[in-house]
Amino acid sequence: MAKDIEISVSQGRFLIETLKQKVRLDGRRFDQMRDVDIELGKDRGDVMVTMGKTRVHCRISCEIAQPYEDRPFEGLFVISTETSPMAGPQFENGNNTGEDEVLCSRIIEKAVRRSGALDVEGLCIVAGSKCWAVRADVHFLNCDGGFIDASCIAVMTGLLHFKKPDVTVSGERVTVHPPEEREPVPLGVLHTPICVTFSFFNPEDTEENIKGESNNEISLIDATLSEELLRDGTLTITLNKNREVVQVSKAGGLPMDALTLMDCCHKAYNIVERLTDQVQRVIKEDEQTRNQYAAILSSENARES
Amino acid sequence: MSRLEIYSPEGLRLDGRRWNELRRFESSINTHPDAADGSSYLEQGNNKIITLVTGPQEPRLRSQASFSHASVSVNLNITKFSRMERSKASHRNERRVLEMQTALVRTFEKNVMLHLYPRTSIDIQVHVLQQDGGLMSSLINGITLALIDAGIAMYDYISSVSVGLYDTTPLLDMNSLEENAMSSVTLAVVGKSEKLSLLLVEDKIPLDRFESVLAIGIAGAHRVRELMDKELRRHGQKRLANASK
Amino acid sequence: MSADIITVVKREAGLHFANDLQFESDSDVEMSESEESNEKREAGEGSIVTPGELVTDDPIWMRGHGTYFLENQTFASVAGTVSRVNRLLSVVPLRGRYSPETGDHVIGRIAEIGNRRWRVDIGAKQHAVLMLGSVNLPGGVLRRKSESDELQMRNFLKEGDLLNAEVQSLYQDGSASLHTRSLKYGKLRNGVFLQVPSALIVRSKNHTHNLPGNVTIILGVNGFVWLRKTSDVDLSSGQNTVTGKNAATLSGAGRDYKPGNTSVSITRLEEESSWEIYSDKNDHISSSSRKTITRYSNVIKALAHCEIGITETRVVAGYEASMAYENISSLIEKDNMEALGQDVLNSEKMRGNNQPAAFETRA
Repeated sequence: MAKDIEISVSQGRFLIETLKQKVRLDGRRFDQMRDVDIELGKDRGDVMVTMGKTRVHCRISCEIAQPYEDRPFEGLFVISTETSPMAGPQFENGNNTGEDEVLCSRIIEKAVRRSGALDVEGLCIVAGSKCWAVRADVHFLNCDGGFIDASCIAVMTGLLHFKKPDVTVSGERVTVHPPEEREPVPLGVLHTPICVTFSFFNPEDTEENIKGESNNEISLIDATLSEELLRDGTLTITLNKNREVVQVSKAGGLPMDALTLMDCCHKAYNIVERLTDQVQRVIKEDEQTRNQYAAILSSENARES
Repeated sequence: MSRLEIYSPEGLRLDGRRWNELRRFESSINTHPDAADGSSYLEQGNNKIITLVTGPQEPRLRSQASFSHASVSVNLNITKFSRMERSKASHRNERRVLEMQTALVRTFEKNVMLHLYPRTSIDIQVHVLQQDGGLMSSLINGITLALIDAGIAMYDYISSVSVGLYDTTPLLDMNSLEENAMSSVTLAVVGKSEKLSLLLVEDKIPLDRFESVLAIGIAGAHRVRELMDKELRRHGQKRLANASK
Repeated sequence: MSADIITVVKREAGLHFANDLQFESDSDVEMSESEESNEKREAGEGSIVTPGELVTDDPIWMRGHGTYFLENQTFASVAGTVSRVNRLLSVVPLRGRYSPETGDHVIGRIAEIGNRRWRVDIGAKQHAVLMLGSVNLPGGVLRRKSESDELQMRNFLKEGDLLNAEVQSLYQDGSASLHTRSLKYGKLRNGVFLQVPSALIVRSKNHTHNLPGNVTIILGVNGFVWLRKTSDVDLSSGQNTVTGKNAATLSGAGRDYKPGNTSVSITRLEEESSWEIYSDKNDHISSSSRKTITRYSNVIKALAHCEIGITETRVVAGYEASMAYENISSLIEKDNMEALGQDVLNSEKMRGNNQPAAFETRA
């Protein structure tokens, strides 16, 4: 049985008090995200995302499978977000029906899979009988808040980084070429959704929140674990660089003014823009290091055209 | 998929409504006086929902009790026959249902005065008899009515409505045909304020259109609140008249 | 397209629509006249308010149950009627669970047995507590409760047993502590249980009544009702027996009623506190008494259906009116329940001044 981690009353009061004075315990501004460190592994589709103490690992893999009968032209795409006690004592092994776990996996599912970030039609090999099944396994290595944000970045970076083996089809015969033989092909990523999570705190009475005009509620971006434990409400906004709201989830919690929420969206957009650039830069740099000997080893002759 | 005209050039929707019209909204409270402390039956368009609230009562397990406030639980039963095609699987323990339950609990936890009922539990059971789009918003409206009927103290109404965005036109209170064809926003508003207690967006919406969608949603939710309020007052008058006989 | 002209501009006060957003009325959704008109008006005594509604913005009122406040404004938190007692402003909910008060005569069901206490379901928000020290045990009332009593608690009262008791005190969190230190309290047998909304039972001096037809009723303030065959104890403890105008004809097997035999001597008490009061065995009940009990039970169901306050006089009046129905089980058909309710109210009107209805006098 997993145990809920609880924060002591005095510690909680201290944190809320500092927030009222507009200070965060780790010295960040309210709308400042922790620095995101994206590390790519040796294999393609192997990503480690670190945000402060939060560490999330994502591994993309693929295999050939049979498409669903009702969707013969589409490949399969599964995201598995299973938490284990490795991330923290509050998580249970094999039981992912806890409130936070369900919300986390549903949001990632909506943000990445249902928003069509991955072109599943491009995964089709032979219509109705063979297709690629892409699988993203997210492992939560350490929990210090911001699981949703970190895993979304990890999955998207992984999808951009991953390459599937090339195949040739002749009739019903499918040949899969190993990477030594033919250069693998990248996945069709249509857009890059990035999640930004806000945490809301109510510094005053509930009455003030419901009936008052002051709108003094505090909203933080990218809460740490202790902030997450104390928050009154949360909002996860998923956006992409095309100024599209992909998904918003504010499942209850502290009622917030609509205009404040709009404000959050605009703040989130700035962050999304920056993070998307960072993801693309990391992918590009990796590509360059992988290909630094390509010119030397290439047997191709420079041709004049 | 067949070509359906979601929104005609004349400004009419599939069921003949205009963009800013709600569906038929009929509700009644105290429908199951013997089975629960509070109950409601809600028809929002073709959504038909029974909500039962029991409590505040002694929690089933001693471990569920909290010294400072009541605990809220929501049990959502989406019947197999609630859609056009009978679903084979039971919806219980589906992730989607678990997510909805969590969202409902978290919405009402902040609105019910839980600190007045320490060491008790408030159990909410929702039965979806028929669904036709905007399910989440109907569930919220049904629960609000049932909680008020149970005499449980809460800060204000929570009223909810769904809005879709068709091209550039926001469409209020979608049915399932519309919901399948476009992106949808579900929002729940506290009382007459502009505070959102719940906001769910599925599928892409341009950031710059978002604000107008929210505005029509809030206005629609306020209207829903008025309709619920009217029903409550009607019921209250009836009871008062009975009592003074 | 009309949607294009809906724009939202940001002002200090919040979202505003540049053009007036109006809901065109649909034949299904009626437009109710805007309630904003009565927004500023204060809700007066007895008027219906709903959660979140402003009751008053006058700071002189003390805030009672069913309200919350922000600065000077007082809002309702439940749907109900406004009540103003001196300076106390509260909202009485239309419905709600029973909330116990000291001195209430209630009926409860044992839910569990704990450390030197029983937990009793009295239909309130929380279970009530009946301490081992607050009951009469066999072998005299005034003795200390020993360890052996603690071990055989289940022999006195076990899970599922019904008992009537009085609320002795309330704990901080609103839960009740009960006692049964009187002969009129204790385990219930020889009858049937039924439950009505607690709001229908009016608190009064006496909640045990001997009714015509050799039936005794206990109207628990919590809405739990017990109907049983009248026992010797009921008769001797001097409960007011109803002497309706045709009570004599109704009480077929009427026993001799001995008025004045109200005092119970200490020896009697000791005698009564024997094991017998915790007996689970019913006395012999003739089929005619069973029918009478059922008739009363259905009459009360009918009164509850019509949301008529349940008092002794009304139960008797209902019983008399129910004689028109030969078949007892037909009493709980919807039409009959409503007709019966009407009969009771009519008979009350007819009696008029010479016999005021209990409801009004006790309220």
